[in-house]
Amino acid sequence: MKTPLVFLLLAVATLTAHAQTVPPAGPAAITASSGRCGVCHPAERVQFEKSRHAPEGVRCVSCHGGNDRSLDAGAAHGAGFRGRPARQDIPALCATCHSDEGRMRPYNLPVDQYALYQTSGHGQRLARGDRQVAVCSDCHGAHEILAPHDPASSVNQLNIPQTCGRCHGSRAMPGAREHQDVLKKYQSSVHARALFEQGNLRAPTCVSCHGVHGANPPNVGDVDKVCGQCHTAERRYYTSGGHAVARGGRRPECASCHEAHGVQAARPERLASSCAVCHAGDARRLDLGRRLWTEYRTAAAEVDKAAALVAKADAIPIQTEDYHARIEEAHTYLREALPAAHSVQPEVVAGFTTRARAVGEEVQKELEGKFANLRQHRYVLIAFWFYVLLTLFVLKRFRDQAARNR
Amino acid sequence: MNAPGRQGPPARGGWVDWLEQRVNLSEIFSFITHFGLVYTPVDTQKPVREVLREVAAEPVPRYAHGARVLGLLAAILFGLQIVTGVLLAYYYRPTPEAAFESTRTIVRDLPGGWFIHQVHAWGSWLLVAVIVLRLLRLFWEGLYRAPREVLWWCAVAMTWVVIQSDFTGRLLTWDSHTYWSTVRGLEVVWAIPIAGPILAFLLGGRTVNADVLIRFYVLHVMVLPAFYAAFLYLTFATLRRVGLSQTGPARDERPIRYREHLYSMTMLTVGLFAILVTLATLLPLRFHGAADPYVTPGGVRPPWYMLAPYVLLQRLPLPWLSGFVMLAAAFAVLLLPLWLRRDETPGRRLRIRLAGAAVLLVWLVLSVLGALLERR
Amino acid sequence: MPIPEDRPIHLPASGPADRRRFLTVLSQTFLALWGLGAAAVVGAYLKAPEKREAERTVSAGLLADYRVGEGRLVRHGVTPFYVVRLDATRVLALSAVCTHVRCILGYEPARRTLVCPCHDGRFDLSGNVLSGPPPRPLPSYPVSVRAGEIFVQV
Repeated sequence: MKTPLVFLLLAVATLTAHAQTVPPAGPAAITASSGRCGVCHPAERVQFEKSRHAPEGVRCVSCHGGNDRSLDAGAAHGAGFRGRPARQDIPALCATCHSDEGRMRPYNLPVDQYALYQTSGHGQRLARGDRQVAVCSDCHGAHEILAPHDPASSVNQLNIPQTCGRCHGSRAMPGAREHQDVLKKYQSSVHARALFEQGNLRAPTCVSCHGVHGANPPNVGDVDKVCGQCHTAERRYYTSGGHAVARGGRRPECASCHEAHGVQAARPERLASSCAVCHAGDARRLDLGRRLWTEYRTAAAEVDKAAALVAKADAIPIQTEDYHARIEEAHTYLREALPAAHSVQPEVVAGFTTRARAVGEEVQKELEGKFANLRQHRYVLIAFWFYVLLTLFVLKRFRDQAARNR
Repeated sequence: MNAPGRQGPPARGGWVDWLEQRVNLSEIFSFITHFGLVYTPVDTQKPVREVLREVAAEPVPRYAHGARVLGLLAAILFGLQIVTGVLLAYYYRPTPEAAFESTRTIVRDLPGGWFIHQVHAWGSWLLVAVIVLRLLRLFWEGLYRAPREVLWWCAVAMTWVVIQSDFTGRLLTWDSHTYWSTVRGLEVVWAIPIAGPILAFLLGGRTVNADVLIRFYVLHVMVLPAFYAAFLYLTFATLRRVGLSQTGPARDERPIRYREHLYSMTMLTVGLFAILVTLATLLPLRFHGAADPYVTPGGVRPPWYMLAPYVLLQRLPLPWLSGFVMLAAAFAVLLLPLWLRRDETPGRRLRIRLAGAAVLLVWLVLSVLGALLERR
Repeated sequence: MPIPEDRPIHLPASGPADRRRFLTVLSQTFLALWGLGAAAVVGAYLKAPEKREAERTVSAGLLADYRVGEGRLVRHGVTPFYVVRLDATRVLALSAVCTHVRCILGYEPARRTLVCPCHDGRFDLSGNVLSGPPPRPLPSYPVSVRAGEIFVQV
């Protein structure tokens, strides 16, 4: 209530004092964070007022220098005025605050971004004099910097692919031509679908694998570590299996079968076909892949049959809640078999699939028994009809008796 | 079946006499006879033993004979439906949350529950069939002419009530298929010009929710059975006045005794029950899981008797026209007796029968068409 | 119920008449079986099931049988759950079905976490997702301890 009034008075006072030199401006043009800069730079002022910085004591002059008390362009852009910071200076400029532990502590923000940036592909190229490379403001914006949890922020989880894709998905970016469609590939991936279609904010984006400020492509041999952050079970089996051992400088990694950016949902039937990508002529290894798939398929078929029987029993209906639980149990084993397949050892997979199959067969057997019991209703029905016919006979006899006694 | 009491030698001072002094048992017996036991007039001033003796000695036409048996079946089936329906109502809870679960409890967990439910479901099917056949028979034999107009109106009303009962009963299981079949049925009801919105209003609106469910429940277990019983009573009351139909040339109309009639009726009941049990055991109706108002399963059709109106009202180019044609036909059925009062010549009679057969044929063709359209 | 004769049969009490009477009584007894059968079916049906309330409230054993920190899987139909004893008095019940793809979770008493064997999703005892792919926290069920026995409201 009080603050706008003060500003109003201030504005009126300002207007009367500098009536000749100042372009007419609304009273809101002068605020605590932007000082009088907004009078001449209204667009920047509006952007800045919305930012995460504005309420925290960061002012125009914090980055641009100069004097925000003066409305005279000469005086305002006078001593210490920096103007628009040069691209190569921006990381260091942001770091004056963001590497200062004392300043960042109240916000619980990390202070290692600048150090990380300098190790990143971006930072190293910048140091080598590449002015095109991304600096802080390319991802975070300059004036309208928002907190990452703000959905409008360019570094919000949902916006990161687009933000990175502005450069990494465009033809304008020099070099690295093979990665031009990387954004498109990501958008077709199971990760992007989880993020955008199912709204799962835990789904990975670019930064989940490449790092945030220290962004760099993972080294060869590190891919399984990166993917393994989330796909822990898969990595566990992968590292225990034959594929984790490098042979002749080449080592099959996650991306060899699953692609790097366009990761698709796991399809169990690919167990049979993926091997041929590298082992096309190797009958023994191809056979091994087929055995993995057969193990899984036969078990899944038994479980599916059991589930179909449960559905049939539900429609009768028979009490099936226990069977539902056991089908879930079998599905758990089947799910576990898929990560286990990354060990490329059929015995390991069989450890889970045999259990799933056993549960499936057991459920089938028990339900078949119950159906057989139901079929016995028919024998009861035959007996019932004998009884009915006898009853009708007796009744007819009574009726005839009544007719004779007329 | 209410047996009319043991008839020993009179004036033994037993409980019948004790009761006789306090209640007019003859009147009660007379009331019961109105539901199909016998249709001879009863002198309610006499004591019940005398009435029974008179009735027993009275020669009565063979009611459980030939096509006439349909009326009797309609009464017996109704009785079976009442018995099974009351048993089901002991456990049924008419709320969207509990409807399916309580039905499943009845059918799955209670001993004999599935049996009672299936007999009830198949009983409704048979009842509809019997009632419709009876209507057709009355039409074919020309039994709507004076002085039997009231009988005809009762038959039409009973058909309507039975179909309504089936329609309302379907929803009660709250099974996904029956639920959506009701939703589609209500669409058809809505599409009927003028009468549709009124009917839908009475049924509780367009969206099938808790309000509609409780309304269907009340209609199904109270209102419609009460109407059915009333029309049944009216039917037999009318029969006392106008007599049984004497169709065709003097056939085997040898009168029988009341006792024989009762035995015939008991035999009919046993036979019907056996047929119902067979159907329930060999062709049990299946369940499809609880209804979800936000998920429409595939392959759901309106109830079979709604298929022809569905084609008329929703698939033909001028739905309002066909709607009015349908309404006109419905009223024509009611007004049939007033229309065709004149003494008939054989040629005229043939023409009426052919017209009726044509209407039936059109109805059947439309139903088949509706089923085919729905299959896509 | 058969309808009895209203008039006695006027036959001398000879052999055929006795046989006939015997047959009539036999037939009547036979017909009475219908009544018995109906009474049995209806009686069995009407016997109020007491277990329905019990079905919703599941007993998870005696509190004293649980060590502090111990968790047990209770295989209750489609909603299996873990019962974990937190300290001397407090017990909680947590769904054992992973919110990711419905695998059955395992319990790690040392870390007091529930771990999914399929994709290594981890939950704490409040049901929160600690790591891994599960999109939602685990639901929990109300628990009550009556006379030393643990009951879970499913």
